[in-house]
Amino acid sequence: MRRRLPEWFLLLLPAIIVIAAVILIPLLFSLYSSFTPYKLTRPSSLWNWIGVRNYERILTDAKFWAAFGRTVLFLTIALNLELLLGLGIALMVNKVTWGQRTLRTVLMFPMMFSPILVGFQFKFIFNDNVGLVNNILQSTGISNAALPWLVDGKLALFSILFAEIWMSTSVFAILILAGLFAMPRDPLEAAKVDGCTSWQSFRHITLPFLMPFVFIAMTIRSLDVARAYDIVQIMTGGGPARRTELLWTLMSRTGYVDARMGLANAMGYVSILLSIAFTIYFFRKLSAARAGLGMEG
Amino acid sequence: MDRNRTHRYRRRMLRAAHLTALFLTMAVICIPGMWIILNSFRPTVEIMAKPPVWNPTFTLDHYRAMFGGVGEGGVPVFSYLWNSVVISGTSTLIAILFGMSGGYAFARYQFQGKSGYFVGLMLFRAVPGVALSLPLFIVFARVGIIDTHFGLILVYVAMNVPFTIWLTDGFFRQIPKELHEAAEIDGCTRWQAFWRVEFPVARSGVASAAIFAFLTSWNEFALASQLTRSVNSKTMPVGLLDFTAEFTINWGGMCALAVLMILPALILTFIVQKHLIAGLTFGGVKG
Amino acid sequence: MTEVTLTNVIKRYGAQQAVHGINLEILDGEFVVLVGPSGCGKSTTLRMIAGLEEISDGQITIGNRVVNDLPPRERNISMVFQNYALYPHMSVAENLGFSLKIAKRPLAEIGAAVAEAAAILGLEDLMDRKPGALSGGQRQRVAMGRAIVRHPDVFLFDEPLSNLDAKLRTQMRVEIKKLHQKVGNTIIYVTHDQVEAMTLADRIVLMRDGHIVQVGTPLELFNQPEDTFVATFIGSPPMNLLDGVVTDAGTVRLADDQELTVPVSARSDVRRGQQVKLGFRADNLSPVGHGVAEEGETAELNLIVELSEPLGTETLLFATLAGTEVQGKMLNPRPVKPGETMTFRLALGKAHVFDAQSTKVVRSI
Repeated sequence: MRRRLPEWFLLLLPAIIVIAAVILIPLLFSLYSSFTPYKLTRPSSLWNWIGVRNYERILTDAKFWAAFGRTVLFLTIALNLELLLGLGIALMVNKVTWGQRTLRTVLMFPMMFSPILVGFQFKFIFNDNVGLVNNILQSTGISNAALPWLVDGKLALFSILFAEIWMSTSVFAILILAGLFAMPRDPLEAAKVDGCTSWQSFRHITLPFLMPFVFIAMTIRSLDVARAYDIVQIMTGGGPARRTELLWTLMSRTGYVDARMGLANAMGYVSILLSIAFTIYFFRKLSAARAGLGMEG
Repeated sequence: MDRNRTHRYRRRMLRAAHLTALFLTMAVICIPGMWIILNSFRPTVEIMAKPPVWNPTFTLDHYRAMFGGVGEGGVPVFSYLWNSVVISGTSTLIAILFGMSGGYAFARYQFQGKSGYFVGLMLFRAVPGVALSLPLFIVFARVGIIDTHFGLILVYVAMNVPFTIWLTDGFFRQIPKELHEAAEIDGCTRWQAFWRVEFPVARSGVASAAIFAFLTSWNEFALASQLTRSVNSKTMPVGLLDFTAEFTINWGGMCALAVLMILPALILTFIVQKHLIAGLTFGGVKG
Repeated sequence: MTEVTLTNVIKRYGAQQAVHGINLEILDGEFVVLVGPSGCGKSTTLRMIAGLEEISDGQITIGNRVVNDLPPRERNISMVFQNYALYPHMSVAENLGFSLKIAKRPLAEIGAAVAEAAAILGLEDLMDRKPGALSGGQRQRVAMGRAIVRHPDVFLFDEPLSNLDAKLRTQMRVEIKKLHQKVGNTIIYVTHDQVEAMTLADRIVLMRDGHIVQVGTPLELFNQPEDTFVATFIGSPPMNLLDGVVTDAGTVRLADDQELTVPVSARSDVRRGQQVKLGFRADNLSPVGHGVAEEGETAELNLIVELSEPLGTETLLFATLAGTEVQGKMLNPRPVKPGETMTFRLALGKAHVFDAQSTKVVRSI
C-alpha cells in the first residue's frame, strides 16, 4: 500500500494551514521583531538585532508593571464576580416556575453585543453630562453634582468593570443554568430526606455537579479575555492619566500611536503568555473536573 | 403549629426576596440596551438637554440621516453594512467547512497526542486580537491586503476555526458511530455517509456553531480597526467610531447604527438559542 | 451460494491481540450464533466480517469471494446494530429505502421492496413516523426491515435484543427465527446470552479470550461440553462441578471423602491419582424418590440442603458439599427444611469428568 497521510490529519489540514498562515507566521514575525528596535517610520530598523533589550526595557518599566498588575487584578475581579453573579442568576432562574425560557433568552441578550458596542453603550450611560446614571442621580436628588464616572480614576475603573461584567456574566449564567437543567433530581431529593439543609445540599451535591460547567464557562471566557480591550479603548482609552491602562491598551498605544512596533510586540508576547496561561489553567481544571465525574470521552 | 407558621412566613419572605432580586437583575441586563434603542429615536437636542427630559419625543431623524448618508457627518452606513455582511458571511462559511472537517477528525478518529492538538488549536484562539493585530498589520501591509475584504476574511477564518472545531467536535461526538457504520453497510462511501447521515443529524448543531462564528466576526473590533482603512472594507464596529470626533460624540446617530448592528445578531441568536447552549455544554463536557 | 469462511483471522490493536487466529466455516442459509462473555472477541469478529474493522491477518471470504480489503458497501451484507442505529432524521420508509436509494435503484423498485419488507415485519402503519416516535420493539423491527430490504447475502446481528425488556426479547427472538425461516439467508448473530444462542442457532460458536472454544449444535454443546468453561456457560443453572481424585478402586473421591464410581464416559481414560472435576447438571441430581427414573448406572450422594426454591412442578435445591455449592432438582416436591440432610441420586450416564488442571473433558466415547 502507498504511504499516505492519515485521514485525520488530512481533515485537520485546512484548519492547520489557515491558522499557521494567519496566526502562527505573524506571531513568529512579531517574536523576531520584538528583538529589534523596529519602528514603522524607519523600516530599516527591522534588521537591527538588539537582543532582549526590549524585554529588559518593559520589565524595568514601572508603567508596564502598573498596566500588567492592573490587568491581572482586573481579570481576577471580573472573572470571579462574573462567576458568582452568574451562579446566583442561574440559581434564581432555575428556581422560577414560570417563563424560564423567556428569562434565559433575556440572559443571552448581552452575549450578542459587540464589545465595542458595550463600550459605547456604557460610555453613553456613564457620561457625566448626558449619561443615564447621572441624570437619574441628579433628578432624584441623590447627588447634586455630576459624578465624573469616566474621568475619576477609581470610578472609571469601576465603570469599566461594570461594563465588562455586564457583557460576560451571561456566559456563566447560561452555562451554569444548562448544568442545573441537566442535573438529576434523585440525589437532591435523597439529600433532603437524609436531613440536609438547603445550603448543605447545595454545597455538597449541586456545586460539585456544576463544576465542569463552571470550568467550561471559564475556559470559554479565558479564550477571549482580551475582548476587554475593546471596551477600555472606547470608554477611557486607558486614561485618565493612565489610571485605567491595561496591558492591551498600553501595547496598542506603543505600537500604533508611538509606532514602536518592536517594543509593542514584546509587550504583545507578554500578553499572549498571560492569555495562554489562563487558558491552559482552565483547560486543566476542566479535564480534572470531567475525570472526577467520569465524563471524559 | 407555631413552627409551621414560622416556616411558612419564612418561605414567603424568601420568595419575595427572590422575585425582587430576579427583577433587578433582569432590569440591569435590559435597561442599557433599551436605553440605546430609545435614544436612537430621540432628537439630539433632547439627548443633550440639561436638565434631562424624561418625556421622550419620537423622531426617525437619526435613521433618516444614517441611510441618507448626509447630515450626520455623512457616514456611509450602507458600505459598512455591506462590508460586514460579506466579510462575516464568507468567513463564517469557510470557517464552518474547515472547522467541521477538523471537528470530525477529533470526534471520529483516534490518534496520538489528540488532546495536545486540541488544546494547541484552542490556544491560537486565545491570542489577544490586539497582540495579533501588530504583526498582522505589518505582514498584510507587505502582502498588500490591508483594507481588503480578503484580508479580513482570512483573519476571521483563522480566528473562528478553533472554536468551531470545539463545537462541531461536541456535536459529532453526540452522534453514535453506529449511524455511520450502518450507512456504510447500506452502501455509502465514507463521504456519502457523512453528507447523507451525519451532517443532516448534526445540522442544527453546525448551524449554531456557524452563528457563533458569525457573531464573532460581526462584532470583532480590535483587528478590524487596524486592518481596515476606508469604505472598501470598514466594518460596522469600526464604523461606530465615525460618530465620534475629537471632543464630541453624535450619540443619537451612534445609537441608530448600534441598533442596526445588534438587530441581525439578535434575530440569529434567538433562532438557534436552544442548540447554542446544547452545543457549548456538550462540546465541553463530553470532550 | 453464500458460505462465509474465516481462515486464521487475527485482530490486533497495537500490541494487544483481540482475536487469535479464528477458523470457521459457515454454510449457506445457516443460522450461526457467536456467543461468549463480554470481551471475548465475538463482536470484533462480526465487525471484521462486516468490514467495519480491518483484519490484521488471515482471510475472510463471503460466497467464495475474498473480501479482506473490501469496504462494507461491497460485501453485500446487512447488519442490525445493538442500538439499532436508525437514521433519526428519516422516516421509517426512508430508513428502509435508504440503501436502495444510495444504490440509485428506480423509485418504483424501492417502493416495492420497502412495502415488501414492511409487510413481512408488520410496519405498514408506521411508515411516516420518525424513529424517535417508535417504541423499542418497533425500532428493532425497523432495523431488521432495513436489513432485509436489499436482499443481502448475509445478515449480521450484533446483540440486537440486549436493549429490550425480557418479555419483548422473547417475542423478538421468535420473530427473528421466523424471519430466518422465511428468507432463508445466512445469518451470523452475536450475543452474550446463552439462552438466545440455544434457542436461535443452528450452530453455536462459543468464544473466550479471542479463541473459539467449541463449535456445535446447541445440543452438542449442552450434552458434550469440551471443557469446564463450556459446561458452566451453556445451560441454566450452570453445570455443577465437584473437585475429586481418582482412587485405586476406580472411584472418584470427593472433597468430603464420599466416593462414587467414575462415570461411564471417562472410565477407560482416567489415571489413578488424577485430579478431576466431576460435572453434572441439576436435572440429573435428585433426592431419592423424587427424580425421573434414570436408566443406567446411578450413584448416591448425601448432601445438606441449605435453600430450596419451589417452582411448582419441581423444586430447585441448593446444597453444599465441603463448601462447594451443588444444585439439584426435586420432582413431585415436598417441603424441605433448611439444613436437612438428603440422599441424592446422580445419573452417572449423564455426568462428565474434566481434568482439573487442563479443564478439558476426559471422554472416551
